[in-house]
Amino acid sequence: MDRNLKGRLEARLGAHLKAPVYQRGDETEIRIEPGSVPEVLTVLHDSVDMRFEILADLAGVDTGEVMQVVYHLWSTMTPDWLRIVADGISRDDPRCPSATFLWTGAEWLEREAYDMFGIVFEGNRDLRRIFMPPDYTSFPLRKDFLLPDDAARSPGSGVRHVERAHVPADLADDPSGGIRRAPVS
Amino acid sequence: MPERQPSQRSSSGGAEALAASSRAAGQAASAAPPPPQADSQQFSTDDPRILLDRQIGVPLYEPIPPYPTRTEREGEFYTLGDGEMFLNVGPHHPATHGVLRLVVKLSGEQVVDVDPVLGYLHRGVEKICENSDYYHVIDQVDPLEYTSSLFQEWAAVLAFEKLMDVQVPRRAEYIRVLSAELLRISSHTLYMGFLALDLGGLTPILYSFIERDEIVEMLAALTGARMLFNYFRIGGVNGDLNHEFMSRLGDWMSRAAKQTEANAGLLNENEIFVRRTRGMGVMDREMALRYGVTGGNLRASGVPFDLRRAHPYSVYPELDFNIPTRQEGDSLARYLIRVDEIRESIKIIDQCLHNMPDGPVMARLPRLLRPRPGRAWGACEGPRGMLGVYAISDGSDQPFRFRIHDPSFVNLETVPALLPGNLLADTMAIVSSLDPVMGGIDK
Repeated sequence: MDRNLKGRLEARLGAHLKAPVYQRGDETEIRIEPGSVPEVLTVLHDSVDMRFEILADLAGVDTGEVMQVVYHLWSTMTPDWLRIVADGISRDDPRCPSATFLWTGAEWLEREAYDMFGIVFEGNRDLRRIFMPPDYTSFPLRKDFLLPDDAARSPGSGVRHVERAHVPADLADDPSGGIRRAPVS
Repeated sequence: MPERQPSQRSSSGGAEALAASSRAAGQAASAAPPPPQADSQQFSTDDPRILLDRQIGVPLYEPIPPYPTRTEREGEFYTLGDGEMFLNVGPHHPATHGVLRLVVKLSGEQVVDVDPVLGYLHRGVEKICENSDYYHVIDQVDPLEYTSSLFQEWAAVLAFEKLMDVQVPRRAEYIRVLSAELLRISSHTLYMGFLALDLGGLTPILYSFIERDEIVEMLAALTGARMLFNYFRIGGVNGDLNHEFMSRLGDWMSRAAKQTEANAGLLNENEIFVRRTRGMGVMDREMALRYGVTGGNLRASGVPFDLRRAHPYSVYPELDFNIPTRQEGDSLARYLIRVDEIRESIKIIDQCLHNMPDGPVMARLPRLLRPRPGRAWGACEGPRGMLGVYAISDGSDQPFRFRIHDPSFVNLETVPALLPGNLLADTMAIVSSLDPVMGGIDK
């Protein structure tokens, strides 16, 4: 846990942080608005006291209520992994600025996030599906995409169709059928 | 001048068709002045030659997507310039290391642009893992990088152990390092063989498979499986070292270094191999960082980024080994890095055998794992680069989100930047020097 990094992040990015810097183990996490992704990434990449040059990962997350885009960065200046969570992206119209202006390699990672979650990365010049066929219309890793054969959840009785086990009364008219799990903070 | 030039649209025959068309062009140039743009209309659908092909039932290869182009880049790629043609390499091709399709735009024999098409092996591992419990994730991620599946397991258990604050016994850590480094040698040896095979050399692959088979048999004695080991567990490993594994390992270690030098000597001093790899597919430091390339491909470009030293995990801080780095960034440097890494891995295995502590190989854990809500990122250094796993727990017995970052995916992304300007014959040599494994790329 790098306390020093926390101070540097707060000094540089104070205005952009949505929540206090969170540290656990060898990870440091900051939470920002999707709109401030370009400024934050540029500051992290270019500041002489941070120099996060390696984009370790870019992932989409669907919490069931909002979408997130999660970046993992690595720098020689700190022993910690830095995680940036662009939080609060609308599920109905998910949009996030692209990171391709800094890391060309983000192009395919963003294509994957688009393919799996439908998050539109504004500024990516090649945002098309990468794994699924071009005429596919769903976004498979969204939480409202249910597997027709959910054998791992079935109690040893083989294949079941889309699970609609127990629907609480207050979720009866919910389109997800009550499958939604607890949102992740 | 031949009466009927081979239609570029129906050039599904690959290299033969290409050679035929370039021969035809050569004859035309020597016999008579070229006709004034006789083929400028060849891509319209009312081309009589194409209609003839359809009438007699020749399967027509359609390189242009039958749907409206979706992005600017796709439209740009699928618009042919003057004298250009498409060639479809793969998805079923002996040199693509899996089911990879490259749509190559050619001008003569020179590559102008490449559009890799992925997804032929996509099976939705992340979704499967999000619907299976924490123990089952480990065997689901095994087939991703099928030549080095222990590393994929390692990334997953690293993330889960961080999520659950599990302390792994030291003996288990040493066994993990020992088995994983063996597999790294196996994977790199296979890489050497396949790189030579893609350049037309048939011999090294046979020696590679001898070497690999010994390691695979050894690991089969340890884990019970030849390729998809399912050996690492959250909090340790599945079984302790046994007599058969140790005797096979001792036997192999007595000649591993010598055998490696012999295998490398087949290629290091081979003039054809060196000439076809030196200066090919050069990736400089800035480009490698901009693309997020990791592993040997990044270290061949002069960045000493190896997670075993850059972000130490397991017992690597206690072991003495070097991170080989080169500056050239070409195919030859990427190959030589792998050879150096084999030598370092043999050193690591030797130290593991000498320092192996006693004790249990598993931490005590409940049968049903329900980590408290939280997030964890675990990454380890695989043979191809950084294998990362981002896991989110919501307190249930299944991961809420299970994200796999595969190094081959990012390494393959550099192909559209590395290939243009090279000859078609070097396409596969450059792609295979990046060492992609399609199982991991397509997930």
